[in-house]
Amino acid sequence: MVSGKVVGYVIGRIFQCLVVIFISTTVVFIIPRMATDMSPIESAISRAMAQGQYTDPRAVEQLRNTLEVAYGLEGTVFDQYIKFWGNILRGDLGPSFSSFPTPVMDLIRNSLPWTVGLLLVTTVLSWVIGNILGGIVGCNRNKRWAKGLEVTINALRPIPYYIMALLLLIVFSYILPLFPSGGAYPIGTVPRRDWSFFADVLKHAFLPGLSLLLVGIGGWFQGMRTLVSHIMGEDYVVYAKLANLNKKDVFSNYIMRNAMLPQITGLALQLGMIFSGTLITEIVFNYPGLGLLSYNAILRSDYNLIMGVTILSIVAVSFGTLIIDLIYPLLDPRIAY
Amino acid sequence: MKKVSCFLAILTVGLLIGTAALAQEEYMPGVSRNELIIIENPDGRATDPDNFNIWAPGSPSWSRGLQQISMDTLWYIDPDEGIEGDPWLNSLAEEPPIYNEDYTEMTVKLRQGIYWSDGVEFTADDVIFTVETLRAHPEMNWGPQFEIYVDEVYKTDDYTVVFKLKEPNSRMHSTFTVRWSGCYIMPKHVFENAEDPVSFKFNPPISLGPYVSESYDPAGYWNLWKRRDDWERTTLGKLYGEPGPKYVLYVGLSQERRILDQMKHELDIIHDLSPEAAISLIEKNPYAITWFEQFPWAHPDPTLIAILLNNEKYPYNIPEVRWALTLSLDVTEIALASYNGAATLSSIAVPPTGNHLTWYFEPLQSWLKDFSINVGGEEFHPYDDTIPFQLAERAKNQFGYDVPTDEDKIKQSLGYGWWKYAPDVAAKLLESQGFTKDSSGRWLLPNGELWQIRIICEAEGRPIMTRGATKIAEQWKKFGIDAEIQGVSTAILWPNYLTPGNYDVAYAWNIETWGGHPDLSFFLRTWHSNFYRKSGDASAGSNYIRYQSEELDKIIENLLKIDFFDYEKTIALGQDFLKLMVEDMPEIPVMSYNVFTICDEYYWTGYPTSDNPYTNPVPNWANSKYMFPKLKPTGK
Amino acid sequence: MVKSLVGELVKRDTRFRTGFILMIIIVFMSILSFFSPVDPYSTYYAPVNRPPSLKYWLGTDSRGQDVFWMMTFALKNSIVFGLIAAAVSRLIALLFGTISGYIGGKTDSVLMIINDSFITLPVLLVIILIGMVFRRLSFFPLAIVMGLLGWPWDSRLFRSQILSLKERKLTYTARFSGMSTFSIIFKIYFPHLVPVFLSTFINNMIWSLGLEVTLSVLGLTNLQLPTIGTTIYWANQHQALILGVWWWLAAPIAGAIILFTALYLLSVSINEYVDPRIRYQQGSF
Repeated sequence: MVSGKVVGYVIGRIFQCLVVIFISTTVVFIIPRMATDMSPIESAISRAMAQGQYTDPRAVEQLRNTLEVAYGLEGTVFDQYIKFWGNILRGDLGPSFSSFPTPVMDLIRNSLPWTVGLLLVTTVLSWVIGNILGGIVGCNRNKRWAKGLEVTINALRPIPYYIMALLLLIVFSYILPLFPSGGAYPIGTVPRRDWSFFADVLKHAFLPGLSLLLVGIGGWFQGMRTLVSHIMGEDYVVYAKLANLNKKDVFSNYIMRNAMLPQITGLALQLGMIFSGTLITEIVFNYPGLGLLSYNAILRSDYNLIMGVTILSIVAVSFGTLIIDLIYPLLDPRIAY
Repeated sequence: MKKVSCFLAILTVGLLIGTAALAQEEYMPGVSRNELIIIENPDGRATDPDNFNIWAPGSPSWSRGLQQISMDTLWYIDPDEGIEGDPWLNSLAEEPPIYNEDYTEMTVKLRQGIYWSDGVEFTADDVIFTVETLRAHPEMNWGPQFEIYVDEVYKTDDYTVVFKLKEPNSRMHSTFTVRWSGCYIMPKHVFENAEDPVSFKFNPPISLGPYVSESYDPAGYWNLWKRRDDWERTTLGKLYGEPGPKYVLYVGLSQERRILDQMKHELDIIHDLSPEAAISLIEKNPYAITWFEQFPWAHPDPTLIAILLNNEKYPYNIPEVRWALTLSLDVTEIALASYNGAATLSSIAVPPTGNHLTWYFEPLQSWLKDFSINVGGEEFHPYDDTIPFQLAERAKNQFGYDVPTDEDKIKQSLGYGWWKYAPDVAAKLLESQGFTKDSSGRWLLPNGELWQIRIICEAEGRPIMTRGATKIAEQWKKFGIDAEIQGVSTAILWPNYLTPGNYDVAYAWNIETWGGHPDLSFFLRTWHSNFYRKSGDASAGSNYIRYQSEELDKIIENLLKIDFFDYEKTIALGQDFLKLMVEDMPEIPVMSYNVFTICDEYYWTGYPTSDNPYTNPVPNWANSKYMFPKLKPTGK
Repeated sequence: MVKSLVGELVKRDTRFRTGFILMIIIVFMSILSFFSPVDPYSTYYAPVNRPPSLKYWLGTDSRGQDVFWMMTFALKNSIVFGLIAAAVSRLIALLFGTISGYIGGKTDSVLMIINDSFITLPVLLVIILIGMVFRRLSFFPLAIVMGLLGWPWDSRLFRSQILSLKERKLTYTARFSGMSTFSIIFKIYFPHLVPVFLSTFINNMIWSLGLEVTLSVLGLTNLQLPTIGTTIYWANQHQALILGVWWWLAAPIAGAIILFTALYLLSVSINEYVDPRIRYQQGSF
């Protein structure tokens, strides 16, 4: 029996979510257009000219006008804004400027699976491992091995991600040639659906995944550990311990379950952020993905592509939070609507 | 529970390591290493890998083999000597273009016996189709050129095309002449069936060149090309013989990977490296081939790096100030900082590469030595031809390099001379204009304000530029000007700063020449005052410095009236231009853009070098195609 | 208030003590930069690529600079950067959280919507975009921009603190005794918020510094200013790792590790000091 109040709340949250998406999208829409000299047309023309071929100056000026129409950039920013929403709601993200006229969706679709694959796995894995380790260390806070583990994991956290990635590459790919030095799959193979290809993908994803993992674990670990160490002081845990209940039981049911809740919120948020990709991973490991796509889009003033990738990210994050907000009360019996 | 998860973790890691260890080498199923040449594609990852339509307005990845070994066009100008000693190369055309008296008509005789990779013969129809299609779609590459100039294009027989122009254009053929690239010919029989030539993907591409697309990476990192069985029906094969490699792989890699891969002999040609990485690689790899065998190793591209001054902005509109900025620089330090000394200096507004040395540098030496400027009533001779020798010495002392001692070799590799390092003269020039120094020795503008310079330069894309600019800023600071660099991304430097003139001082390039031809109208055409655009408006060409003068206009107009192939008159006018640039010094030329292209001789031999400069080894240039008939397997 | 907090933690918590000591080391290094005999902007004054020795304590780099003295500047600049960014974002977060939490109702909903909009923005991309638009990502503007983007997570934190404080007895007591809203907020709430403020301050410093390193490695910041990030950038440019000039990379990495670990330990111990119930009883963010 769903009460009216609940329905009201749900609708309210959904509305909130949509407004948030609307505002952030508008912000990202406006920023690149604020720079009057950051024109995608100039970018396209400069790319052609900078490549050192013969260009006739009158031809260049002509091209300016032609491209303006082709890119859909006539009219004021406001006109473009209205057109933009019109297209979005029809599911059309428009053509990419830097790869005109290939649609933005196509470009994103090329890169998306790799980003999602890599980040989904590493996010979930680092969450699981981080939390488990954090929980264990939290419980045994004063033992030496726990402190040692904590110090080790925390020592990894401050290493700038770029260096971590580079070091892993050098150590495990060149000094000890165990793993391939880059790419998502071997040069020369075309993706196909069979086990050997899958094995190749795993092999290539190992180092980038490891680098992301090592960096990601720290956060979850610390959060969980702190939460757990507080729960340890709670009455019900002390009681359970005194009553000599099964240690494993205490760990999973009493401690972890209670500590889990804020971590789940965090996870949802992290998962949403997958769609912004990881630029550095892609640069160091030559891994295809959304990061480089969006970076190059920014550099080339490719408005449509920028919007495409960012909207993806914004929507994912918003929906992630929305879903958590709606499910959370189900998980935590203490909260009432 | 803990024990089980522990065990599982170890098992997974073990499995992965096991798979890694047991797996084979990364390479190409079906392609053996000794028939494959692996070349770096500096564009990196192609964002739209399925799209081979080189005429479409976007398509930013041409250097993955598409423009080099798949496409072809009428003429090529080699930045070096040319495969047969002449930089002018007739490719799809049999001879140079024939113009009528007043340059309103251009006739092209096409080569016979050339076939597309799908068996259809190349004829005048293809050329006409290309021109008409691009003209009809001016958003496509090269379209606007045809829209403006071509009135009519028709054939008189299957191998002769006539262009009727709307106005006289003595350089109409330039559109079809490859310097780095040019307007390639479209296959009529393929594109005429396409619904929309702008969005047509042209996948797989039908080649006029000797290689066809064998496979490519859907993620955009590599392209594999296979030699055509009928290679002798292409211009390259017909004229120069069978291309050596059966397979060509263009691959996009990160900097670290390039070096490590070439050390393992898994990369045959590296496009460009930072100087110390290059030098370290050269020292470690006995098979490394560079343009110059010893210092300075790199290939000077026909691109001139210079300090660009916006002549519209104060105080850079004052010639004395510009000269002061020049004389306050010690160029050997800049060369040491940018290239560890391995830089080819230029004092004049043309790159010190290829044949320019004989056409421009050598003949102007005496004029330069005699040239003087007026400093407070006294004559001062700013030219110093001992600077390249000083540079060689300093490079040897600081880095321990094995520098050439032969005078000619030094001139060829390090340049002919530069402007004296004379900060006191520079100070006098400034003072004569009302500049003063404050108590801490910093220069103040005549109106009392502190003189600040922000040098715009490329950031992470080109380390050489950042380093050079940093050094220049440092020197000016030492001289007393509050100078700093402002690094911006390669992709926005031109569209956001240079083209619209949103800068005061920049360190980049605006002068690029054919390299193999003395005609400076290649870039000069856009410097005519007709195309002058104020700062704030986008310029239509390379006149980022916003320089205009009547004399310049006259030179340009005269240049365009001369026949392209009249070398004597062209060179004479070119020299006039260079003299004008020295007198006014609207921008400060520094050095040529030297590319550390490194070739590995382990599997392939026959690369071009300064001893055998038959073409440009830099692999993303379309004229690097002339390397292929000369490459032979080493037998490993 | 802060003094007693610090004093207590130094005594009780080993982690705090360690962090504190490390922090002192870093601050000391930074202060040394004022006595540096070399100008951080000059290059090629020392022989290149010399390993650490008695003359050059941390060696020299490929640009002919003394790594030791460059590190003092780098640490100083990095700390200043982190402080500015964190300060700006704390202020905004505090303001937002407090107003939102205290006033509640419609204002709260609106402010929270704005808050969430900022959370959903992909920060790295937006900073790069902003850098492109304003043509500069130099030191101060960048720190401020980071401050402007780093507040949303913690403003919710402050908000929930305020929310729970509102319900406590001390609020009612204060209100009934006639204290003005301002006084309540400043005199009563803020002291309670200090530990959380401090810990999020430090966290935010870590976040901003991490982002600065990323941006510098991409070459988007002022490259002549020595910071941890720009040092790494130049080391990469000159291929330090491949050429074997390991000290050039080891120095900023070690510096970063010490700095971050110090900040981190401090933050963690302050966190623990805070009543945990308040922290995670916030329920849904």
